[in-house]
Amino acid sequence: MPKLTRRHFTTLAGASLASGLFAPAAIGQAKPRVIVIGGGPAGATIARYVNKESNGAVHVTLIEPQKEFTTCFFSNLYVGGYRDLQSLTHNYDKVRKEGVNVVQATAAGINPATKTVVLTTQERLPYDRLVVAPGIDLKFDSVPGYSEAASEIMPHAWKAGPQTELLVKKLNALNDGDQIVMIAPPNPYRCPPGPYERASMFAHVLKTKGHTKSKILILDPKPTFSKQALFLEGWEKHYPGMIEWQDPKMHGGIKGVDATTGEVKTDLANYKAQLVNVIPAQMAGKIARDAGLADQTGFCPIDPETMKSKSNTDIFVVGDACIPGDMPKSAFSANSQAKVAAMVIRAELTGARAFPARYSNTCWSLIETDENVKVGGAYEPGEGKIKASSTFVSQKDEAPELRAQNYKESTDWYASIVADMFG
Amino acid sequence: MLGMLGAGSSAQAAADLELGRYLATECTTCHRPGAATAAIPNIYSLAESTFAEVMKGYRDKRLANPVMQNIASRLSDDDIAALAAFFATVKAN
Repeated sequence: MPKLTRRHFTTLAGASLASGLFAPAAIGQAKPRVIVIGGGPAGATIARYVNKESNGAVHVTLIEPQKEFTTCFFSNLYVGGYRDLQSLTHNYDKVRKEGVNVVQATAAGINPATKTVVLTTQERLPYDRLVVAPGIDLKFDSVPGYSEAASEIMPHAWKAGPQTELLVKKLNALNDGDQIVMIAPPNPYRCPPGPYERASMFAHVLKTKGHTKSKILILDPKPTFSKQALFLEGWEKHYPGMIEWQDPKMHGGIKGVDATTGEVKTDLANYKAQLVNVIPAQMAGKIARDAGLADQTGFCPIDPETMKSKSNTDIFVVGDACIPGDMPKSAFSANSQAKVAAMVIRAELTGARAFPARYSNTCWSLIETDENVKVGGAYEPGEGKIKASSTFVSQKDEAPELRAQNYKESTDWYASIVADMFG
Repeated sequence: MLGMLGAGSSAQAAADLELGRYLATECTTCHRPGAATAAIPNIYSLAESTFAEVMKGYRDKRLANPVMQNIASRLSDDDIAALAAFFATVKAN
């Protein structure tokens, strides 16, 4: 097949940007190529939407090393015993059948100058547009004494799969009177209400077993947290005296952990716990950082109109790896950002119409059976970032029927969004 | 800067199906054809007037769900007409 030359393509792209209109790329030549690195919520959604909406006019390659993807969202429901892990695990069969070239491989690097992605096999794949959606990496050393090796004893479970299974195994092995300590992460991190929903699920499991002597201590580097009033209300109602949350003023600073002894030290006290869940600080996945797409925060600045990297107009950074302005890092956000990026990519490569970027998010959290609260927002580009145009949050003292309806809404949402991502 | 075509513009004689198709990508996060439930109802193959009436109900906060109020809050009449026209063309199953 004739190859689209870089010079020709750049000229077209430059012309389209200058005029504010998009020109179709190289009609009559080879199909334009889109490579997506990462088959999570952001990457899988983009791959499907570019492929489907362009009716095969764009060649879409999705690079993902795993054959199956277990969603981190809803994995707290596995912790609480409401779901099994298999129900949160999805494959790429449908994505592949729809026409996306799913490559089970690991991307080792990006060469923006030659517009190629290099795999760990040394194979080089050329692109016209690249989507980088690697999710997060954990900064293990953000908690002194913690490491990837220590996470085999003190699981983080902030990437779903074996870590989540380990966490549940340890939770289920606890005896009445055993203690749990969770170290919550500093901002910004994946799933802002997630640590507190998880603590709720810990409490649900302990309460169900009649473990009335056990306690859960959350050591937080933040002075406040997402849906705080709702969680505190729910904990008081369902788990009185079981969950203690300490902000930095209360603990004086988290000094470190020792995985060999199960000890957690703060400035003011030492704790020994039978289950320690350390959720460390986070940053964009390595490939994004290595490609120079991240700034000093460890995450990647993007143009809020397009989801393009601020450092390279051929590259989009979508999902947890980007700096999403007022949006939280969530699967819903990633899916929403992916649709904007897919629209822009099609406009640039096929001449499809471009529309203004619009984003939305909702995060549901389960506190106890049929006790679910939600927070969300609508977002648009503004003030140089993705800016909230309206937001909402569940109210305190809501009727039990409404909270139960929220839970049903969340499980139905899960079924739909994973179909939107994985087919 | 992207070309901002169509969205929000007024005085369009016919509903803008292409705009509807783009805006609909926000809806498909929760609403799938053939998967309607009490919590997340069907929005496919509805009469355009029915669809528009419900969306305006959420926009005006006469209907209760905050997720939908939030989604509808920024939709213009033209946006709603475009969505109604698009979803009317998609089979419910």
